[in-house]
Amino acid sequence: MSVPALEAQALCKSFGGVRAAVDVSFAVPARTLTAIIGPNGAGKTTLFNLITHLFAADSGEVRFFGASLAGLAPGEIAARGLIRTFQSARIFPGMTVLENALVGAHLQARAPALSQMLWLPSARREERELVARARSLLEMAGISGHARTAANELPIGAQKLLEIVRALMARPKVMLLDEPAAGLNDAETGELAALLRAVRASGVTVLVVEHNMSLVMGVADQVIVLDAGSIVASGTPAEIQRNPRVVEAYVGQDLL
Amino acid sequence: MEQAAQTIIGGILQGSVFAIVALGFTLVFRVTGAINLSQGAFCILGAFAMYSLEQTFGWPMAAAAAGAALATAVAGLAIGASTFVPALSRLPASSMFILTAGLLTFLEGLCLVVWGSEPYALPPFSGEAPVTVLGVRLPTQGLWIVGATLAIVAGIWWLLMRTTLGEALRACAENPAAARLMGIDVPRMTLFSFTLAAFIAAVGGIVVAPILSFQFDTGRFFTISGFSAVAIGGLGSFVGAAAGGELLGVAEQLAAGYISSLFANGIALGLLILTLLVRPSGLFTARRSRREDVRDEHRIYHPVVRLQGARGAAFGAAAVLLVLALPWLVPEGLLSSLVITGILFIAVLGLDVLMGYAGQVSLGQAGFMAVGGYTAAILATNHGWSPLVGTAAGIVLSLACALGLSLATMRLRGHYLALATLAFGLMVDSLTVGMTETTGGPSGLVGIPSFAIGSFAFDTALSMYYLVAALLVLLVLALLGAIRGSFGRALQAVRTDQTAAAALGVNVPRYKMAAFAISAVLASLSGSLYAFFFHFLSPEMVGTQRSLEMIAMLVVGGEGTLVGPVFGVALLTLLPTAFQPLAIYKTLAAGLLLVLTVRYLPGGIFGTLAGAAAARGAR
Repeated sequence: MSVPALEAQALCKSFGGVRAAVDVSFAVPARTLTAIIGPNGAGKTTLFNLITHLFAADSGEVRFFGASLAGLAPGEIAARGLIRTFQSARIFPGMTVLENALVGAHLQARAPALSQMLWLPSARREERELVARARSLLEMAGISGHARTAANELPIGAQKLLEIVRALMARPKVMLLDEPAAGLNDAETGELAALLRAVRASGVTVLVVEHNMSLVMGVADQVIVLDAGSIVASGTPAEIQRNPRVVEAYVGQDLL
Repeated sequence: MEQAAQTIIGGILQGSVFAIVALGFTLVFRVTGAINLSQGAFCILGAFAMYSLEQTFGWPMAAAAAGAALATAVAGLAIGASTFVPALSRLPASSMFILTAGLLTFLEGLCLVVWGSEPYALPPFSGEAPVTVLGVRLPTQGLWIVGATLAIVAGIWWLLMRTTLGEALRACAENPAAARLMGIDVPRMTLFSFTLAAFIAAVGGIVVAPILSFQFDTGRFFTISGFSAVAIGGLGSFVGAAAGGELLGVAEQLAAGYISSLFANGIALGLLILTLLVRPSGLFTARRSRREDVRDEHRIYHPVVRLQGARGAAFGAAAVLLVLALPWLVPEGLLSSLVITGILFIAVLGLDVLMGYAGQVSLGQAGFMAVGGYTAAILATNHGWSPLVGTAAGIVLSLACALGLSLATMRLRGHYLALATLAFGLMVDSLTVGMTETTGGPSGLVGIPSFAIGSFAFDTALSMYYLVAALLVLLVLALLGAIRGSFGRALQAVRTDQTAAAALGVNVPRYKMAAFAISAVLASLSGSLYAFFFHFLSPEMVGTQRSLEMIAMLVVGGEGTLVGPVFGVALLTLLPTAFQPLAIYKTLAAGLLLVLTVRYLPGGIFGTLAGAAAARGAR
């Protein structure tokens, strides 16, 4: 068995009296798509914040392709190839859609600021290449028509897609997506599913928090169910749908 | 021993005033989440009103004091109702900060127009004879100051903790949205707190005026000291505000008494930076109000204005041609004003990188002009260095100052850089005034040679014009190159959302530091050229007044557009030259323009015009 792309080991976090993560351990195999589901307040976003060190965990650690991430700043974690999106699409307002996508390539841009100041051919060539890649990814996400629009003028669904494009521009090894389908209509959700399959097929490992069950059951290789900060079940989508504890947690909800 | 006691008592008296200003800051901050830089100006407004009522109109002391405090409160009410309160719900926190800097400039300008630039003093309330308490001689005014401070502290406590009104104010501080749902008129509460803060400041100004001399721009010292006191004591804590004020007052008096009065401002900066390094939340941490982190996530943005491709290139080419032809198009008398416009634009260009792109506010840009100007001028005039090498030396020194300041503040969010740069500017002010032997003191440094490269001296306005124009074209091109590329995108990402930027691998502190370094280098270069062009340099040419003016130039011209600020610089440089008798209105106009632009024209002159052009092109 090869080293998992991402591994959480006994993560714990409390906010005052609220235990947002209780001894959470799981592994995400490389080149797979793992989904985390669970009711609101189950600690899904907290888990992402712990993994990317936006919050410090009370105990436990995260391993990335076998190497511990302990002590790294969020920017350093991104530099290793672990890129996340946010629940409330955090696109950069005041910049165009294309520029937003290009910020994602920040770590790919090798030309130093000085060579940009001098308009050196190397810097301009790199810029052209990044722009070309950004355009093709925007095309893939179906929002290339808005490239020159102010990003904050996009509808929320398109902003979420833009955030995924921006993350892809970073050429991540592992992507963490926080509710990418929130705010998307059915057609857009279908496009998102296709996009996620394409991302996985290109070799990127994906960990996604999502409420949309048909999306999760349709694309995930592995599903982890979180409730009140603890993992209550995990397995393939088919196993999860048969798990009585999960069905109980989702009483009244149609898992299909 | 007795001298030490006297010094400490002097410190407590001075600290009481800082504490009063700090309490006003805290009151407004707790209710609105905004820092009101105009707080100190209300102290001076109160003192001036007192002077006019008592000395000019002959009112009795008590009536004059009451009248002055009320008049200042009414001024606060009018200013708050017309600018601060309506802006609060529409503007992001950093724009509110600039708006209050505009109010500070406006009030200073108003005092300059009404009362002139000479220093004023008031007689003590209860005569000159000191009283002796426990063997220590006290000026009677000291008792008034301490009494007023205690009364204000007790009054605020009673208001907030024991009245329904206070409960409503506290509700606004905790959660404005919920307060609104509970039927509290939040804008009215905001206006009330702003007015009350102005009243408190006026009382402080009135009781302290007899022990110091004050003039139109003394207010900013109260602002910086009160602001420092708040940062030292802990933003949002009333106890911290009072304690921070007293601590700062005593430390400054001890420094002035035992080291040198030159370093009193330095002590403020030192204490401040020490606090920021060791205990960034201040000595007394306020109960964490929800408001602050909500504000923190309030993402700031400008309308997107991009002149791209052929249109951008055509615009650039036309601009370069205009710059080349301009000396032949204007009357000869205006040429040196154009040179000054160009030189100041270099510094404002740096400020644009820092404020317009990286979203960091600096209130001390002229401090770096002073470092660059004095270093180059002193080396070239007194030590025979070549102007070019002197300029380079100034740049190195400015860079060192900038890196020091940013190391202390860059990891903190909010307005700490603004605070540190304001303190830095004031410290440079006091050094340039105080180190008379090296800098020439208040009367300035004379006999500075012309700028020269090798044996070629730029000793005419025309040669300086083309030197500055060439430098500007190169600088704008270089910055444009970086801003268009990954460097500029990272800066803008940091400006609008630091968390998301870091999650994409942007090293946030490093980019803030780079922007600050660029702005310091350009200010330093500008200061050196300024000194070489005038052949003269005095502290007020590169003082805090200038820093505030440059913010007005930047915002009026259009932040975040690189070329836009030139319109603001030209407006505020050429108009006073063209209408000399109106020069006294310059500060007033700068403040007013700044406030109006922040409030009604967020893109500035250039941003608005270019936005309209881009919209027309897109149609």
